[in-house]
Amino acid sequence: MQPIRILVGMFGVDQHEVGALAVSSALSDAGMEVVYVGRFQTPERIVSTVQDEDVDVIGISCHSWEYIEYTPELLRLLAENDLTTPVVLGGSVITAADTSDMIGQGVAGVFGPSTPMELIIDDITALAAGRNLRE
Amino acid sequence: MTGPRTEPTTRSGIPLKTSYEAVDVSDRMLERPGEYPFTRGRLTRPGAAAGGWIHRELSGEGGPAQSNRQLHYLLEHGQAGLDVIGDGPTQSMLDADHPLCRHSVGTQGVSLCRLSDYAGLFAGIPLDQVSISSSVPAAFALTGLIHAAEQAEMPLGRLRGSVLQPPLYANDAAYDSFMPISLASRLSVDTIAFCAEHLPKFHSYVEDTYFFSEGGLSAIEELALGFVQIRHLVGQTLARGIPIDSFASRIALLVNCSMDFFEEIAKIRAARRLFATMMRTDYGATDPRSLSLNVTSHTSGLTLTAEQPINNVVRGTVQGLALALAGVQAMEISAFDEGFRTPSPEAHVVGLRTQQIIEKESGVTRSSDPLGGSHLVESLTDEIESRVLAMVHEIESLGDPIELAERGHFRQIFTNAAVRYQHQVESGELQIVGKNCYRMSDEDDRLLRDIAETKIEPDRDRIAEIAAFRKSRSNDDVVRQLRVVLASVGDPEANLIPAVLDAGNAGATMGEIAGAMRQAHGHPFDPLGYLKSPL
Repeated sequence: MQPIRILVGMFGVDQHEVGALAVSSALSDAGMEVVYVGRFQTPERIVSTVQDEDVDVIGISCHSWEYIEYTPELLRLLAENDLTTPVVLGGSVITAADTSDMIGQGVAGVFGPSTPMELIIDDITALAAGRNLRE
Repeated sequence: MTGPRTEPTTRSGIPLKTSYEAVDVSDRMLERPGEYPFTRGRLTRPGAAAGGWIHRELSGEGGPAQSNRQLHYLLEHGQAGLDVIGDGPTQSMLDADHPLCRHSVGTQGVSLCRLSDYAGLFAGIPLDQVSISSSVPAAFALTGLIHAAEQAEMPLGRLRGSVLQPPLYANDAAYDSFMPISLASRLSVDTIAFCAEHLPKFHSYVEDTYFFSEGGLSAIEELALGFVQIRHLVGQTLARGIPIDSFASRIALLVNCSMDFFEEIAKIRAARRLFATMMRTDYGATDPRSLSLNVTSHTSGLTLTAEQPINNVVRGTVQGLALALAGVQAMEISAFDEGFRTPSPEAHVVGLRTQQIIEKESGVTRSSDPLGGSHLVESLTDEIESRVLAMVHEIESLGDPIELAERGHFRQIFTNAAVRYQHQVESGELQIVGKNCYRMSDEDDRLLRDIAETKIEPDRDRIAEIAAFRKSRSNDDVVRQLRVVLASVGDPEANLIPAVLDAGNAGATMGEIAGAMRQAHGHPFDPLGYLKSPL
């Protein structure tokens, strides 16, 4: 079986990278292939990487509010390119209200600061297999 | 189910006994506070009272005018010093109108692109009385302050305040500005050299171990990397022929304060002793002011939780108390809404009030170094000192710090620490109330959430303002001065600060000046590939 490939990156000039690094390491330990694109990403750059690298899931680490503007742009650009790659977000700045809003716009999953790593791994595995998350 | 029994240790892994006795402490004579090697406190003026520190809270949002109102608000509430942080673009040396910055301008700090922005930021603030700590790229913070002082007709010799110098670690552990490490290092030394000559009261070099330890470094790693950088920059400055006693007293240390109470106190005591010993023994400093380390501090943002934000007030109090007992010269308590945003006005006041209550009500600072002589604290201080020194020597034995940074050696240390911290939290080895124990449902966890979750909108007017400014200035002057910057970088004998100042006075922005410097090193003017170089 091919390992799950997940892109991990951050939008714009959101530079608090600690969470992205720690989660990437845990995903690698769980047997996934992490395509770590890191900081300074835009929706265009991410879509281009998705096309080149054949990733199964897109993971965005959020420690500024830039994701609120960039995420809808990313979802639109994915649709325009006929890509169905699921997008997940993670980070403490994402409030409960923002979570509902993002899910409503088509984000597949949102992980908060105390989501257990096991659950993150399970959810990403389910999304990569083409299943939707509960809710 | 119980796991294997593990012996208790400090956060840094120093084994702890259930109690400490005289036999656990080296038989060194304890010096008095204010005496070499300053373990127990830095040099004070004869007859000065014990205790007291400069109270600061992190500030900066929107453009310069909005941040100026925030600074005055803090001063009105009893704050004696200021701490200004740039927004994401400013920290990355990008201007507000850079395409990648459009959703972040002014949201996590103040947007500062031009020299005139600093005059607006500091309007009405007495620059010779209020000490301004700038978490903004140092060469620009310094030239901005000089410009603001000139506007206020304040002689440079009277300016107080400080800038951070993180050349080895900034790109990896904080804000990447795509500056080659060797150029960042040179700019640091240029700043130190320039200030030694022109701004004798200004702290031209704050060694900021706070930001790079926030990913989860231990106390030992934090100090070791700090001293590696101190030794690197001191060595580079001495190599310019600048005498140690003309700048050593302008070095300060900005430490983190995490939750391991006694270890953090011991860390600060060990830092003072290590600094004094190094300055005297390794660098030949003789002026007591060169040996006596000025310590400023932030309580740890990493230890704060998004869950149950009011608990962060308690964490700030515990950490603030540790800092007061360690005898720091300035303090900032990370705000209860840290998990979500830069501080709200409410969080600012709570942080400030916490400091005021510790200082004015608790009485803990009536005597200096109240924990001096404690068997536990003295033992930890000795242990931290020797472990830090061993790690400094180990890193230095691997090669030149600039090459180590370029090879990603430090980035690996930061990444390992972040992963280790994540494991400690996941496994419950590190207990964090409200996060991995004593949790609350989202429905119940509402206290202070409204304040913490209030967002700061990107300052889109600011983007338009900077774009319009570019059209209003003389392009010929800007390009001429940027060429001087380019040429100065190519001249290893030149100090870059005058060229940066002249370019700023001609209307060049920070993004352009930084771009010219990158270009001089053969790097792209715009590292993100959007802008064309004017050169």
